[in-house]
Amino acid sequence: MKGQKVVVGVFTYLDDALKGIQVAKDNAKDYQVYAPTYVPALVHAVDSKRSVIATISLIGGICGLIAGFALAILTGLDWPMRVSAKNIVSIPAYIVVGYEWTILFGALFTLNGMLFLCRIPNIFRKVGYDPRFSDDKYGVVIGCEPDQVDQIKEKLAHTGADEVMVKEGL
Amino acid sequence: MSTDIIKDNATKYSGEVTYHEVNETVLSMLEKPTFGWYVLLLSCIATWVMGFGCWISMMIYGLGMTGLSHPIMWGVYITNFVFWVGIAHSGTLISAVLYLFRAKFRQPIYRLAEAMTVFAVMTAGLFPIIHVGRPWYAYWLMPIPNERALWPNFKSPLLWDVFAVSTYFTVSTTFFIVGLIPDIASARDKAKTKFRKILYSITSLGWTGNARQYKNYVAAYLIFAALATPLVVSVHSVVSWDFAMSIIPGWHATIFPPYFVAGAIFSGVAMVITLVIPLRKIFKLERIITDFHFDAMCKLILLTSGVVTYAYVTEFYVAWFSNNMFERYQFWFRPFGEFKLAFWGMAFCNCMAPLTLWYKPLRTNIAYLFVMSIIINIGMWLERFNIIFTSLARDFIPAAWGGYNFSWIDVGITIGAFGWFGMWMTLFIKFFPSIAIVEVKEVIEAPVRDPHSSVHHH
Repeated sequence: MKGQKVVVGVFTYLDDALKGIQVAKDNAKDYQVYAPTYVPALVHAVDSKRSVIATISLIGGICGLIAGFALAILTGLDWPMRVSAKNIVSIPAYIVVGYEWTILFGALFTLNGMLFLCRIPNIFRKVGYDPRFSDDKYGVVIGCEPDQVDQIKEKLAHTGADEVMVKEGL
Repeated sequence: MSTDIIKDNATKYSGEVTYHEVNETVLSMLEKPTFGWYVLLLSCIATWVMGFGCWISMMIYGLGMTGLSHPIMWGVYITNFVFWVGIAHSGTLISAVLYLFRAKFRQPIYRLAEAMTVFAVMTAGLFPIIHVGRPWYAYWLMPIPNERALWPNFKSPLLWDVFAVSTYFTVSTTFFIVGLIPDIASARDKAKTKFRKILYSITSLGWTGNARQYKNYVAAYLIFAALATPLVVSVHSVVSWDFAMSIIPGWHATIFPPYFVAGAIFSGVAMVITLVIPLRKIFKLERIITDFHFDAMCKLILLTSGVVTYAYVTEFYVAWFSNNMFERYQFWFRPFGEFKLAFWGMAFCNCMAPLTLWYKPLRTNIAYLFVMSIIINIGMWLERFNIIFTSLARDFIPAAWGGYNFSWIDVGITIGAFGWFGMWMTLFIKFFPSIAIVEVKEVIEAPVRDPHSSVHHH
């Protein structure tokens, strides 16, 4: 998070937290919003763009489809042996392998895409995070320079925050 | 599921159950294990060690130690394999399919169902390895060329099964672990011991629940659900093709895939009930897992029981209509032949007994449901027994007919598998949140200061 300091607002109520987000948007370039669960209104208030994860999954699925069929076809051609009077390259029989790998690769790409986009694993660096945010509180954490601290603190307090704290940033 | 019920459920939670209560209730399950937990864990370990001992004995003295003999060469092990894969299925159904349908009754039960999926696939996966007799050659199933540079045969349903089950295991484990991440973060923030703090810090991957994480997480979760749904259908279809692709009477039927998929969901939901009831009692989860959830699961049981019953009847009808003497004889042999008890047991447990659940008070009678869920699982084991044993015992040539003598190795390994499954479940419920904290919170109305504000949770 950019800025030498972070101002952390702890909220019990969702509507207050949304006001806190507005303060963050108006006063800082870098802020983070935490929630104890997925709340669409809150996520949209921060970032209304769609996630690109679906594209990553699609690429994975296509790779899997090609890889599955390629595995079955190329291994068949590598040592041609006619089984059950079927063609050496028997596409209908290979659909299952292609299908399963489409899903497998799609899922693995989705997993890696999600980890990358969520910026995890990131075990140690949690600037401004408070354990209450995984329990029942919302958090708005605003990164700022020391001279902005008082102003942002006051504005956050006015939104109805239960508590406003100042912590070291960067 | 009607929208009214969903609304009722969401309303039922609001005002009564809070975010904090969900956190506290679920995380209290992870507190210091009790004496009873150790007893359960040790009994499970003892059971699977007994089963493992039987397996070692079989490895030393050979497959002759089992009841496997001509013509029933797919005996108890393949029955167990299909049974456990079936159990696994409803986990993904509850977590993925019901997620896509936005059925809110899934939230408090899906984690346990997913854990059941992963551990049941781990159990199922053992059986083909046990069945091959020389497990050290099990890697031959992998796409690795042998010493003569010959690859496995991708036209074989058995190899499709390897791909289907291994993909299923990988995807369902991924789905399970991804779902766990935010909840482990909650456990991390409340961990009381250093060991748990470190364990949860690592396994939560540093999850903080910020808006960017939720945005991508929810999008990814939806895709996982969308990928897992066709996977559920495909895996048990492929398992059914292990049978249906052959020409054995009683197996060579196009109804097999939907019949197997419905049966899998049927047995899996019953197993979820078997697991949820004691857990709810022990950890006092009555406010989170309510009658509503049991009622919804029972309706799913009624639906799948109906489908399974229809499939049984269709099999008989098709055998009669085919005018094929082998097929007709097979379906005479099932209810009246050597294994008739298994057939009638199956019919009672899967078709008749679940009909009682049409009576609403029984759908929320916990003791009755517990017994019913066990009856259904016995019935579903018998169903697989019926399919495998009767068809192999009576194929085309009377000279090739035969029976089966159960050995203590068969029985020991079958029971041992329950110990293996139970051990993982017991460990899981004490170390990781068995109820999805973050998702249960999703169905609770978010607290707002001004109830008239335009802010809504959903």
